[in-house]
Amino acid sequence: MEQFLQAGIIGVSLGAQYALLALGFTLIFGILGVVNFSHGGFYMLGGYVAFACVEHLGLPYPLAVLAAILVTAALGWVFELLLIERLVDDHLATLMLTLGLYLVMSTVMLQVFGPLAMDFRFPVTGALRAGPIYAPLENLIVLAICLMAILGLWLVLFRTDLGRGLRALADDRQVAMAQGLRPRILFPAAFALATGLAGLTGALVTPILSLSPGVADPVLATSFLTVILGGLGSLGGAALAAFIVGIVEAYTSVYFGGSIGALVLFVLVLLLLVFRPQGLLGREARGA
Amino acid sequence: MTPLIPRARFLLGGAEIAAILVFAAAFAVPTMTRSVLVYSVMNQALVGVVAAQSVWIMLRMNLLSFASPAFMAIGGYTVAIAGQHDITDAFVLTAAAFLLPALVAVPLGALVLRLKGTYFVLVTFVLSQIMQLLLFETPGLTGGSNGISGIPPVTFLGTELATNKQVVLFACGIALLATIITACLTRYFRQHFAAIEENEILAESLGLVVWRYKALGFVVAAGIAGLAGYSLVTMLLTAHPSSFESGTAVDFIAYTIVGGRASILGPVVGTASLVYATNLFGTHGQYAQGLYGALILVVVLALRGGVVGTVASLVRRIR
Amino acid sequence: MSELRVEGLAKRFGGLRVFQDISFVLPSGALLGVIGPNGAGKTTLINVISGRQPASAGRIVLDGRDVTNQPAHAISRLGLARSFQQTNTFKSVSVRENIARAIRFGQRGIPKGLENLLIEFGLTARLDEQSDKLPYGLQKMLGLAMAFATSPKVLLLDEPAAGLERAERNNVDLFVKHVREAGASVLIVEHDMDLIRRLCPRILVLDAGVLLADGSPAEVLARPDVIAAYLGDSEEAA
Repeated sequence: MEQFLQAGIIGVSLGAQYALLALGFTLIFGILGVVNFSHGGFYMLGGYVAFACVEHLGLPYPLAVLAAILVTAALGWVFELLLIERLVDDHLATLMLTLGLYLVMSTVMLQVFGPLAMDFRFPVTGALRAGPIYAPLENLIVLAICLMAILGLWLVLFRTDLGRGLRALADDRQVAMAQGLRPRILFPAAFALATGLAGLTGALVTPILSLSPGVADPVLATSFLTVILGGLGSLGGAALAAFIVGIVEAYTSVYFGGSIGALVLFVLVLLLLVFRPQGLLGREARGA
Repeated sequence: MTPLIPRARFLLGGAEIAAILVFAAAFAVPTMTRSVLVYSVMNQALVGVVAAQSVWIMLRMNLLSFASPAFMAIGGYTVAIAGQHDITDAFVLTAAAFLLPALVAVPLGALVLRLKGTYFVLVTFVLSQIMQLLLFETPGLTGGSNGISGIPPVTFLGTELATNKQVVLFACGIALLATIITACLTRYFRQHFAAIEENEILAESLGLVVWRYKALGFVVAAGIAGLAGYSLVTMLLTAHPSSFESGTAVDFIAYTIVGGRASILGPVVGTASLVYATNLFGTHGQYAQGLYGALILVVVLALRGGVVGTVASLVRRIR
Repeated sequence: MSELRVEGLAKRFGGLRVFQDISFVLPSGALLGVIGPNGAGKTTLINVISGRQPASAGRIVLDGRDVTNQPAHAISRLGLARSFQQTNTFKSVSVRENIARAIRFGQRGIPKGLENLLIEFGLTARLDEQSDKLPYGLQKMLGLAMAFATSPKVLLLDEPAAGLERAERNNVDLFVKHVREAGASVLIVEHDMDLIRRLCPRILVLDAGVLLADGSPAEVLARPDVIAAYLGDSEEAA
């Protein structure tokens, strides 16, 4: 029974992390129509920046996380403004641009930090014991911060003018632009918001799991699976799907071990595409 | 008035014939040198160009596939497992290396290609990740993290192809075969692929069953990737998960984009230049991907046609 | 018989209701105009009937056959073609290649009257020019010609005269004449009231996603609710 509850806690914690990643990815896809191949790269960058701040600059961990967010958001803003803006209507071209960016980013990080995993630890150790339940504090803290970030994102998107503008652009760009919304400011903002979230997640999670050049690809794959499950372009779907993915992954890894979880999820997503291609909460999936 | 519908005279165009001639000529190289370095680089390039052609076929329809490592794995491991059962005939194995990945691609293609292009990119990326997991989780079949080593050499018409030189010649043969298949497919369906690439919505509204052509391309591309996997496993005499890492998809994509996506010569030129460039990095080969990334950015932002496209438009301007 | 029957058709997109309860019949060989202020859902209606977007509710029956939610290529194969409001051609290839593709993908051979149509449009003289380099009006004509080249039984035209010079608008009349001679029925979405009054014996009025009226231009355009719908739209005031 304890195992069941513990797996649940890990699952929810994973879900919150995946939600931040999936929401960011969906923001970029929904608003700009861009499939961001560098999303995993920004997660990794967030981890490395936080690590460098702690290890080499001696900053306290919370400041390091903040630095990670600022660096990843700034880089995202600049990248969108300088490069993606030029080709924003050509979806294949923007995908290639993000792929190119990822390759350059990851090679730079490889050069600076080397190929081995970094010794990056979460500053809080220990666990909470409540009867039979044993929950590592780091998971709980990360869960709390992720939930706050999700709440913050919700507030921005649904309670501010910026957010309303972003959502209008996602719904129907032509109409939104006809009503005077300026993509010039909003597109870089959306991109920066998303990459900042990825960086935040990286800074929080890599000290718990691992920080090495190989972490970006699985993060990207999980983001992809999650947004397909939730429905391409649907924020609510992305969040819901993220928790489902996190919980499935936690339970399959606790009860079956290995990487069966990812396999199970992939098969589930393929089945979903047969019967309900628009995902849980998405709109239209049919081609052309 | 001249006839409304242009009548195509030849199946293969200039670029296709040039590509085929390149690989026919490649047979001569191993006979002219004994340099192990040349053999190595050439073999890498011959494997890479076949995988790049797999990417190129889908790119003709504006679809970016990350699945080449997955289908290469199916082709490569099929050959390795067959080798464990003493099946080494080149013709049988070539057919198997092509057909098995193609068969796997049929249901996948039917599923994903009716949906928007974005799904295709995402699903093929995840597919390559999943293939790695599958390889590790099925040690009984695939040897798991150890892979399958000590694969017997290919036998071609009774002769064992065991020396370095023979292996390179074999790789030339596979590359030539792959090029012929790719050329025939993309030329025969040139109008359809071009219409889908340029304006899918219009093509579909005129009655073209777009998803069927995408699926056809996907199935053949999977088979071609399988051939690349066969060539790779023959070169290494080992089938190992690390050869089919999802990251290698990016290499093949880079070869195609940088070489030029509009012509069959693109993947050829791109693979040759980038494999050569990577070998210049020597022991620092891991930085090659940074170069690929920078080149992709340059091509997408400025030189849209890649090397071949840029050269072609320069030639046109000079004329 | 190539009757197009639309029953209770509705389209919602997210929280937005684009149109609902749209029902009408386009009999074989008939000519029907569809008018309405901007944003009334007319292009989406064509998209849904032609299979480019799925319907949220209702039925589309073509030739007695339920084609609701069939993909665009299937509906095209069954004989329903559409043109696009913006110029929509294969931009990087020649006029000749554009027409060739339309004929090939339509799979019903070259329709009678196509060659004459091309001559009358002035496209024959420019068969080998890249379609992207043609003037706007000719690109639109090419789009119409391509739709015709698939030998359709029903043709949906989305604002064929939009963006055309006064002189060029006669080409639309010409086109409709050719199409009807070939036996097809036509539904025209248009803003150009002169054209509608000239060509269409019957029109539908769509406003804010609702079918306001269905009748002859004289009847329909005199109705106060139709006039009121247009007062909000400054482009065409009856």
